Amino acid sequence: MWRIWLRGAAEFLGSIAGAILLLSLLVVAAQPPHGIWPFATNVLEQFLRAVAGDFGRSTATGAPAMIVAWKAFPATAQLMASGAVLALLIGIPLGFLLSAGRTLRAAAPLLQIVTAIPVFLIALALIWIALRSFHMAAPLHSRNTSLASLLNRGDWSGAWFLYLLPALTVGAAGAARLQLSLQRAADIAWAAPYRSGLRMMGLGLFDINLRFALPEIVAAMLRDLRAFVLALISAAVIVEWIFQIGGAAALFLKAAASHDWSVVSAILFLFALLVIAVGFLGDVFASLILSEEAR
Amino acid sequence: MSGVAARTGSSRHPRMFRTIIGTAGIAGLGLIAVVVALNNVVARVSAGAVHVAPPLLAPGAGFVLGTDALGRDVMSETVHALAVSFSSAALAAAIAVFVGAFAGFAAVRMPLRLGEFVRAVSGVVRTVPALLLAVVLVALSARDFSTIAVGLAICPAIFNRSFDSAMRLARSRHAVYARASGIPGLTLLRRDLVYELRRNFLYVAGRALAAAATILATLSFLGFGAVPPHRDLGLMIAQARDSYLSAWWCAFFPALALVVFVLCARFAATDDNGDVS
Repeated sequence: MWRIWLRGAAEFLGSIAGAILLLSLLVVAAQPPHGIWPFATNVLEQFLRAVAGDFGRSTATGAPAMIVAWKAFPATAQLMASGAVLALLIGIPLGFLLSAGRTLRAAAPLLQIVTAIPVFLIALALIWIALRSFHMAAPLHSRNTSLASLLNRGDWSGAWFLYLLPALTVGAAGAARLQLSLQRAADIAWAAPYRSGLRMMGLGLFDINLRFALPEIVAAMLRDLRAFVLALISAAVIVEWIFQIGGAAALFLKAAASHDWSVVSAILFLFALLVIAVGFLGDVFASLILSEEAR
Repeated sequence: MSGVAARTGSSRHPRMFRTIIGTAGIAGLGLIAVVVALNNVVARVSAGAVHVAPPLLAPGAGFVLGTDALGRDVMSETVHALAVSFSSAALAAAIAVFVGAFAGFAAVRMPLRLGEFVRAVSGVVRTVPALLLAVVLVALSARDFSTIAVGLAICPAIFNRSFDSAMRLARSRHAVYARASGIPGLTLLRRDLVYELRRNFLYVAGRALAAAATILATLSFLGFGAVPPHRDLGLMIAQARDSYLSAWWCAFFPALALVVFVLCARFAATDDNGDVS
């Protein structure tokens, strides 16, 4: 077991170091010095500073880039977390449902029509439905107003627009990714040859699914958590821009447009750290589940 | 166990059903390609022509898909925008396949485990979503280079898939037996390349096309992609944002064209296991 942890930890640290190196390359490549040697020296300096947590200063505000990014991160984290919860609530039952029977499996490609819709179109469609079909009014408040205070005031429109619609959009993107990985894992587990062997040995279908198929499906899902988080981040960028939420994802777009590379690299580092950490935990837990099953 | 299940043909769709989906996808892409090639014939108004009719005219007999806020024919504009989106996505996908897929195939055969090092680097790049990577590349260069930026941004995912697939081939039993029986490495390489072209590259190309179309449209929607007057579908939808609540057709038809395009590309990429994305 300790080998799994050790290997995972080495990959985790290596990935973080690699991400910092790539972001250092990005910052230096944005304003490259003349010559290879000064370039390499600048990259090394930038890398060592970044390892110490110093990603430079924002060219727009002059504040340390990591502090600028960190201040904007909670709004994005909140959006991604609420989207992830919705994605789990929608994606897991849908994934199991669409891999349950032959007829339902055949309907799976139809779901591709839904998942082929780009995130910004989902957001625009949800806004259109809220305004035109449910006759809601566009909110006058900014996202600074908390959800609790909106609900206390009975401002359902505000709560819907500022919190539920963004979370739904991110959740839809996450659910599409989740049900896909779940469905793939379930397909492989359902068709595994050991199932017929266990049936012949007299084990019931429920027991086979619970003891053998389910751990494999859960492990495969955990291994795919990295892709799930990537989908949530991409969706958060688009949603924050459309709904004008002042989070790290929207700040990333503004910083990229204004060539504020220190802030860009700090935000990308936070996102990369999130992806690497979730991927690491997913891999470790998947290994634990499979080793328990093997026991 | 999973690998065995996959190899023995375990899949959720019957083969014929998969064939129908794949054929529908390829036929759809072919139809789109024809429309794109004949865009100046299909569209009755040239691209960007304003005030051809009263603004925000609803779909009807005169203008089948209506007109937008500047009095442009939505149908003609959608066809022209589809042509821009299709050609850009095809170019981005071609870049991704040539750089990503072929590099992934070649990297497996690199000496000193260099390929595995490149695979690890690619894995690190993949911790940044392709959309964000494309935004960074556009910001580093210019909006005119968005097609190349998107092509490069989706490369790591394609590289990893091709690398893993080629690695399985290189380590497969047939490769071991072939080497043991004295078959030259070049013959084996040729065989693997043909096998990869049939099994992996076509699937990857479809996936790359779908991803490129989605990311390019999103980039344009966010203001990092197509530059007016060459509007693609994403930019067309972005410019319809102010009017789409009262005039739905301004955004609906370009959105529909985009979804159909992405869907066809994803269906065309149906693989042996029936995965369509």
